[in-house]
Amino acid sequence: MLKFNRRHWQRFKDGVLQFFTFTLSSVTLVTLSAIVIFVFQTGAPLLNLDLFNYDYTSNTYISEPILVNGEVELCNCAPTRLLDEGVNYSEKWGVGLSDDEDVLGKPVVIIDYIHQNSPLVTLKNKGFGPETFRLLDEFYIRRIAFFDQPSALDIFGSQFMIDMLDANDTFRELEVITKGGGIRGSVITTLWLILLTLIMALPIGIAAAIYLNEYVSKNSVIARYLRQFIELLTGVPSIIYGLMGLAFFAPFIANITEATGPSILSGAMTLAVIVLPLIIRTTEESLKVVPNEYRQAAFALGASKTQTVFKTIIPSALPGILSATLLSIGRIVGESAALIFAIGVIIKDEISIFGQSTSLAVHIYAMMTDEPANIELSATISLIILAIVLFLNIFIKLLTRRMINKRLPGGMI
Amino acid sequence: MKPAIKVSQLNLFYGDNQALKNINLSIPEKSVTALIGPSGCGKSTFLRTLNRMNDLIPSCRVDGTIEYRNLNINDKKTDVIEVRKNIGMVFQKPNPFPMSIYENVAFGPRCQGINNARKLKDIVTKALKDAALYNEVKDRLQKSALELSGGQQQRLCIARALAMNPDVLLMDEPTSALDPIATAKIEELIVELKKNYTIVIVTHSMQQAARISDQTAFFLLGDLIEVEETRTFFATPKDPRSESYITGRFG
Repeated sequence: MLKFNRRHWQRFKDGVLQFFTFTLSSVTLVTLSAIVIFVFQTGAPLLNLDLFNYDYTSNTYISEPILVNGEVELCNCAPTRLLDEGVNYSEKWGVGLSDDEDVLGKPVVIIDYIHQNSPLVTLKNKGFGPETFRLLDEFYIRRIAFFDQPSALDIFGSQFMIDMLDANDTFRELEVITKGGGIRGSVITTLWLILLTLIMALPIGIAAAIYLNEYVSKNSVIARYLRQFIELLTGVPSIIYGLMGLAFFAPFIANITEATGPSILSGAMTLAVIVLPLIIRTTEESLKVVPNEYRQAAFALGASKTQTVFKTIIPSALPGILSATLLSIGRIVGESAALIFAIGVIIKDEISIFGQSTSLAVHIYAMMTDEPANIELSATISLIILAIVLFLNIFIKLLTRRMINKRLPGGMI
Repeated sequence: MKPAIKVSQLNLFYGDNQALKNINLSIPEKSVTALIGPSGCGKSTFLRTLNRMNDLIPSCRVDGTIEYRNLNINDKKTDVIEVRKNIGMVFQKPNPFPMSIYENVAFGPRCQGINNARKLKDIVTKALKDAALYNEVKDRLQKSALELSGGQQQRLCIARALAMNPDVLLMDEPTSALDPIATAKIEELIVELKKNYTIVIVTHSMQQAARISDQTAFFLLGDLIEVEETRTFFATPKDPRSESYITGRFG
């Protein structure tokens, strides 16, 4: 009777434990999927390629047509795609306009379609900034002024604008408002950060890993403390690194270059410090698994220490070094706290490595601290960052699996 | 016969542990010397002192002289790279680099700064021919060395050592990881190679020692018990310990 009871009790305990572990892991899964689903639902509608093309700030350009032999080269072409209803198209100018309202409810005229041969594709800028600029879909046309005729204003609607365009062979002035909200600047900044950070961190990190694994004896005190210190560095919150970037790297860069404050360069230096432990550890792991037989064989063939390291060990450790690089890129793309201090939170369109700008992650921060917060666009950028990180992860997995498959068969190890 | 290497008063320590005790041995030129003995007797350790591979073990300390071409190999001032260039080594497990067959053989000469493509090709071809591997791999020199069979890999390792044009070849149980057919091929090769090279081979198989060697040295627990011309050694061992090892009473 007692035996029977105890077995029941055991089974009951097992059941309870199983239930709890199941529930708790489900909570994790549900939370994670909830985040991903939220980001997808909010961000996906805004996701399109133009996002990478547009500036963040919307500009007003006053422009005139580019003349060839004193005349505008008219298009006289049919649209290459079917235009929506309500779009007024001018064959003469190769442009389709439609009426819309902006966020404040004011009537605006939107460029719905522009033919690639249209004379309006590239216009001469009359104001400050670049000499010419490109007219893209979804720009607003404020007004078109003609010679000896009334101007076509946006409040009169797109139909009137098209009629006026058709009636003229040239125009005097075209005022256009570019579409803002793009992330081109932040994308370029992120690419700069990846490049500069890797240039700084990879050689140092790989050299340190080689020193720790190949040159210093395993039991040496220096190596032990150095390793412990590197472990410690991985655990430091990144905002502290950001502080260091602001207090140390930013003034340093400002002193030796034309930079006046935090810059992409000081941000990259801060990021280099952050990814350094990651690179050292990953590279060291891959050096550890290089079979000792390779070292012995190289030495027995009369290779020096340097030749052994560079000709046999580093090539064998290449997959590990590569995955260290990719992991670092993931970290750089995702880092925000440190960069808020180290390169600032001002979203820019003209990028200089000596100036402030934002990476994609900081772009989100900047928009969410703005008034009003732009949750939709933030979610879209989150989606892009998530996609990059996911892609890198899958890529690392495939790459290492491939390289290991290629290296292991044939009796070694 | 003129000795290629003359070892005298050699003592080797791993930390406080003495692994080789007062070894005196001369290795005749252009012949095969077999080192036999039970596991842990120090024969591989002895082999590795001959090209200073024990330098890689931090706790290892070697006393005594190893005379080679009027040079004391064991002297700290002796250029290790020069020693290893002249005294090649083949290991127990085939250990080709994860590169092409060609690059494996060219590795040593490249480390010596030979980069002339034609010269390298000549060296590689000659080494592969000497190692009796050329005909099997001549059409796939650019393929990965890891695609070869175990026996071919071991012959590739021999070719890799020969490419340095050494005059002594150390072999640490080169056939223990191979099947009988591959073993026979390597043994054939060793007999062929002894015309031009001095060979020192560590082996676990007494039959192998009897088949291919000219001189046999028997190690036991760090002592060199007996060195004798192979036929004499196996027919009439002087030391009772040699006799009991040969007849299989221990080991």
